[in-house]
Amino acid sequence: MSELDMSQYLGIFLDEAGEQLQQLDEAIVKLEQTPDDLDLLNTIFRAAHTLKGSSASMGFNRLATLTHRMESVLDLLRQGKLAVSREIIDILLAGLDRLRALKDSIAAGNGDEGEVGDIVTRLEAVLAGQAAVTSRDKAPGRETLTLDDIEQNVIRAAQVKGFQAYEIRVQLEAGCQMKSARAYLVFNNLKEAGEVIKSVPHTQDLEAEKFNDTFTLAFVSREDADTLANIVKSISEIKDVTVRPIVLEEDQEAAAAVPAPGQDNGVPAARANGKAGEQRVSQTVRVDVQRLENLMNLVGELVIDRTRLAEVGNGLKARLGNEELLETLEEVSLHIGRITSDLQEEIMKARMFPIDQVFNRFPRMVRDLARKAGKEIDFIIEGRETELDRTVIEEIGDPLIHLLRNAIDHGIEAPEARLKAGKPRHGTVRLRAFHQENQIVITVEDDGAGMDPEKIKARAVAKGLISREAAARLGPREALDLIFLPGFSTSEKVTDVSGRGVGMDIVRNHIERINGTIDIRTTPGRGTCFTIKLPLTLAINRSLLVQVGGRVYAFPLANVVEIIAITPADVQRVHRQQVVVVRGRVLPLIYLGQALGLARAVPAGENYAVVIVGLAEKQIGFIVDNLIGEQEIVIKSLGNFIGKIPGIAGATIMGDGSVALILDVRSLVDNLGVEASRELAS
Amino acid sequence: MATETAAEIQLVVFQLAGETYGVDINHVQEIIRMQSITQIPRTPAFIEGVINLRGRIIPVIDLHKRFDLPRAELTNNTRIMVVELGQVTVGMIVDSVSEVLRLPAASIEPPPPIISGIDVAYLKGVGKWNERLIILLDLDRVLRESEQRQLQQEIAAGVDTR
Repeated sequence: MSELDMSQYLGIFLDEAGEQLQQLDEAIVKLEQTPDDLDLLNTIFRAAHTLKGSSASMGFNRLATLTHRMESVLDLLRQGKLAVSREIIDILLAGLDRLRALKDSIAAGNGDEGEVGDIVTRLEAVLAGQAAVTSRDKAPGRETLTLDDIEQNVIRAAQVKGFQAYEIRVQLEAGCQMKSARAYLVFNNLKEAGEVIKSVPHTQDLEAEKFNDTFTLAFVSREDADTLANIVKSISEIKDVTVRPIVLEEDQEAAAAVPAPGQDNGVPAARANGKAGEQRVSQTVRVDVQRLENLMNLVGELVIDRTRLAEVGNGLKARLGNEELLETLEEVSLHIGRITSDLQEEIMKARMFPIDQVFNRFPRMVRDLARKAGKEIDFIIEGRETELDRTVIEEIGDPLIHLLRNAIDHGIEAPEARLKAGKPRHGTVRLRAFHQENQIVITVEDDGAGMDPEKIKARAVAKGLISREAAARLGPREALDLIFLPGFSTSEKVTDVSGRGVGMDIVRNHIERINGTIDIRTTPGRGTCFTIKLPLTLAINRSLLVQVGGRVYAFPLANVVEIIAITPADVQRVHRQQVVVVRGRVLPLIYLGQALGLARAVPAGENYAVVIVGLAEKQIGFIVDNLIGEQEIVIKSLGNFIGKIPGIAGATIMGDGSVALILDVRSLVDNLGVEASRELAS
Repeated sequence: MATETAAEIQLVVFQLAGETYGVDINHVQEIIRMQSITQIPRTPAFIEGVINLRGRIIPVIDLHKRFDLPRAELTNNTRIMVVELGQVTVGMIVDSVSEVLRLPAASIEPPPPIISGIDVAYLKGVGKWNERLIILLDLDRVLRESEQRQLQQEIAAGVDTR
């Protein structure tokens, strides 16, 4: 193996290791709550086992050693020889953290650099403590037989031909002379009955007598276990032989689905059934996101060419009249159009992932935070299977972390305070995701103390964020929005948990950057709920296309409240600002060309088309030259060279191949504030 | 690649305001006809806007404006030369693209201190070929510096009250 260049597998290894670590993390946290869940233990064990195998074959020895020790502890838990305790969970989690650090180090190109000795020692202490109790099974040299893929395949092939696979563990008499000769005899005698697939230790070590008194064989045979045991026992100086059928991993899963004979109470069996169903995964292939992106671009090209094909068809028709060939051309062009849109849809779907990818790292985080803050928290996750685009998944993690932190740190009260308030000791934090029309909704809800608008106002005034008079004018809803101001924090003391300089303003920026919105509902004493609404994908957006100065711009539809038509007579002036009254509400009005810095004044006309956009409570009307209509557009970045332009979120390619700019409504509006003040200053 | 020796460089030669320029062919991705360019508000003047290059959005800069050269009329010969440098892909508007030629490295001299036309800082050197002078552009400077300049403009725009 060492001869091979393993580096080509590194990417896959890291991806998979990441997944296994994540799975372990989640499962171990869950295990703390349901220590008797054997299925869960089996899942954990398998993940650790796979990780051990892959890291060993990649030559990452520290990683392999540490996983191996963890696996041994897990094995004891699984066999019921060790009980799940908080201490053991702590050690396992600490081990996981260390594994993750090693993985990161590998990813950074430094190999598995890092100290693992201390954790290994702690794990070994657990194992040793156990060894004292069950010394019989912990005979030295006890090695579980692990089979790699090739060996498993050999066994499967043999099973098809009617052979059965056995694990044969042979223990020689203590002080046996010529151990290698005994081993040889065992091999030799067994040869009559079948074939040795693997031996632990390796045959070379057996020959060199580099083993204690035990060795284990994987053996395929048509004979039954007793016959094999008798063949081995007929050799002298053999103390003990155990022959057990080998059950391969997937067979184990199948077996788990059937209620085990020992599990006679119905409830756990039913649960086992459900679990087995969950574990069935569809066949997948890993694809680089960049590849999908390229595919998407190519499809975009197809769409454009199809339009041109149709144009050519029309042109020819005008010149040649109805020709049979032209009809065929028309048909083909239509067909290509349909295929193209199907292709586009399929590629979009290929970019969708369950949100579980983000959610699965939270249980561990919540556990750690709650312990640190001295709070007792039930963490409930719903809607893990909700799918959304990869790009959104990447962006949503940080805001959610912050909201969860807030819920734990500021939302949920300490256990004593909760009891005093007549609530259960345990607080509940609920994270939920679901689809609603063309959006995904994520809520973070706690049953904690809630927020008091008056306190928030007082805080904002104390921090000098708004004036006392301005605060007095705010309604309860608007007061809540104050927490999104930079520099606002309700926390009385900076704690290790939340005192990281990230405020709700950053959270909101993050969410708005991915075209989402965030909303708060709170009841003092009862709890708070943050609701985030996001587009399903960042790559495709429903937009309102408008024309200004002969060019096409796109408003993200999420920001558009309504479209109205007004006459110049409807435009009024308040404080040098143009406004329009819509159903009793005064809205600032600005020509889009001016907002973009392209033109100073509205072109004369009899009617203005006005797009009213909404940002939280604020609404602004943009006058445009022309409305084109609603369309799904593919968002593309302007690239590094041009960089971030205020007011512009990106670009898209229209059906005719031309480029239209997508408006970034928030920065457009923010920028207006700057320009307005400039105008006043001049 | 095999035919290329260290002593020779291959250039794409183009015309700009009556002078002959060259860039290393390795950076030139393709040369396309002039097409409709979408302007982007609040960008430096030399950034003409963006175009759609087979599904990619590519910024286009006008080398005349970049180098403060007199404005040129758009003609049938006007081309957009798409160059790639590291992560950056940019289209450059040039008056015409004439040829591709190999130049012995030995015939390239450092830029003379005084040269008509553009800032010496953007030049790699001057090559002599059949009695003609070919001005070799330092693409790295041309593209990178425009980014920096843009950054400065942005910062200035934030402070400046016009």
